Amino acid sequence: MSVTDEVLRVENLHVSVDDTPILNGMNLTINRGEIHVVMGRNGAGKSTLASVVMGHPDYEITSGSIFYMGTNIDEMTVFERARAGMFLSFQYPAVIPGVQVGTFLKKSVQSVHDEPLKGRAFRKELNAAMATLEMQKSVLSRYVNDGFSGGEKKRLEILQMLLLKPTLALLDETDSGLDIDALRIVAKGINSVAPQAGCLIITHYQRLLDHVQPHYVHVMIDGTIVRTGGPELALKLEEQGYDWLEEPQEVEA
Amino acid sequence: MKYADMAVPSRALHLWRYTPWARIHPTKVSEVPDANDVQFDVLEGGQLIEGAPRIVDGDDIGRVFLSELGGSAWTMETDGQSDIIHLQAVTSGENAVGHLHLVMNHDVAVVLHLTGQSEWAGLHITGTVNANVRAAFGLVNELSPKGKLLHCEDWTIGRDATLELAGLSIGGSRCKSDVRSRLTASGGALSQAISVHGSGQRHVDHHIEIHHDVHHTNSSLNIHAACDDRSHSIATGLLTIAEDANHCDASQVFKNLLLSERARAEAIPELEVLADEVSAAHGAASAPVDQDQLHYLLSRGLDDETAVALLIEGFMQSGFSSLENKALVDEIQNRLAMHLERELEG
Repeated sequence: MSVTDEVLRVENLHVSVDDTPILNGMNLTINRGEIHVVMGRNGAGKSTLASVVMGHPDYEITSGSIFYMGTNIDEMTVFERARAGMFLSFQYPAVIPGVQVGTFLKKSVQSVHDEPLKGRAFRKELNAAMATLEMQKSVLSRYVNDGFSGGEKKRLEILQMLLLKPTLALLDETDSGLDIDALRIVAKGINSVAPQAGCLIITHYQRLLDHVQPHYVHVMIDGTIVRTGGPELALKLEEQGYDWLEEPQEVEA
Repeated sequence: MKYADMAVPSRALHLWRYTPWARIHPTKVSEVPDANDVQFDVLEGGQLIEGAPRIVDGDDIGRVFLSELGGSAWTMETDGQSDIIHLQAVTSGENAVGHLHLVMNHDVAVVLHLTGQSEWAGLHITGTVNANVRAAFGLVNELSPKGKLLHCEDWTIGRDATLELAGLSIGGSRCKSDVRSRLTASGGALSQAISVHGSGQRHVDHHIEIHHDVHHTNSSLNIHAACDDRSHSIATGLLTIAEDANHCDASQVFKNLLLSERARAEAIPELEVLADEVSAAHGAASAPVDQDQLHYLLSRGLDDETAVALLIEGFMQSGFSSLENKALVDEIQNRLAMHLERELEG
């Protein structure tokens, strides 16, 4: 495998919040075109993993490192990571009253792609992405996530992902709170980005995997991966829960 | 009562606690100095007629003072020919004062753009919204950065009439606004929204009175102040609901965004409710930039400066989201966006 295929490498990562350890020796490698799914009980550290990879300032890396496209990104700011091609679909996207979705999308795309937007080309791309996600154009004049239903918020996250074309997509419980139709639509968005990116999907449910075919399924317990398998692992977790995973094992993807 | 016979109001009074009369008076408090006319012009739609009734509240020193200063006086009665009317008020010289009376007979939005270089400006706006009319009025204060402003407004809202009031305060160094609205007939409604941008040592004091004189009247007030540097925003609200004015619905929300450690903001809602069957609510919040919102924007590639600027703009724009008159809101929001863009460019 060439160096450029590796999108994300997490090495022996230990992370704390307010001196409370959350991640305890996390190892994970994601290559371009791979879909990795992380499952685990509440509090296992799944969302922390996504947040710390994206550079959230509340998390302190106490040891270990994160490499993106072969470069250590421990010192990179959040916006630098975004501009480098990293994207996080938030579990709870922020509500920003007064900022219209259309304005926000333009500023975001312009910032990440670091070039002046060509109006017609951008509109064409935006229309296509919104059609894929079956979104109404009226959403563009609404304020970001203000008064949005759970499903609308998640679709907006995926819309941003489609427009920003990330190299690494972190999706934190993007499937939570979605009805069957919305789940299918969101999965369509993920599948359209996945071939060009490395994807890390955090989820509690197997049902998303009916629409998105993962290459690896990881189970996190107490801040580290204890088991890695294929899609069949998610099915087993759905049936049996996490109790049978008593003995953690070190597995590298 | 004449100004010379009035005592300087005590700072113990709610209205004068944060901006004493001496700080907003153009010279010495004992004087009524000469003042130029504020130059009023119609930029689009409508017609101004010279002369305006001088409506003076005998107890209020600001209104008495503005009346005795004289200055220009104009009236506009809406004629139903335009959806939006743009007026301009320009101040010049050391002191300038003007009076504008608006008679809203039709569904219309009137926007007054206040600009000018005078050291001190006085502006008194009075208005009537007649029965069954849905009117809107917006004041954009874009005075020069060093100017002082004393601004009073008095509105009467008639039966089944609706008034939307917007205020955008982005000009002047020291501004005292005293806006009073009276719902005098059932079915009347008022929605009022104000956004303030404080930078440098700007001092902006809004006193908003809303009086529900009769039953089945509604009002809402939203004030958003974004304060940076050493600026100071004050918002005091007085909401009254008269005895027997049942089935009224009133709310007041004051929000302050504090952008530096030395910025200050006061938000003081006050309610006097004498009727039993009413809904009256108020709330106030002051906070720095929300870190979750900031992180969200950073994660979408915006740098810190751009992200904070967008959050400030959003905070100020959202103050107007309670207003329904699109022409008014679009105009005010465009002015705000242009102002913030200029500020960002330094």
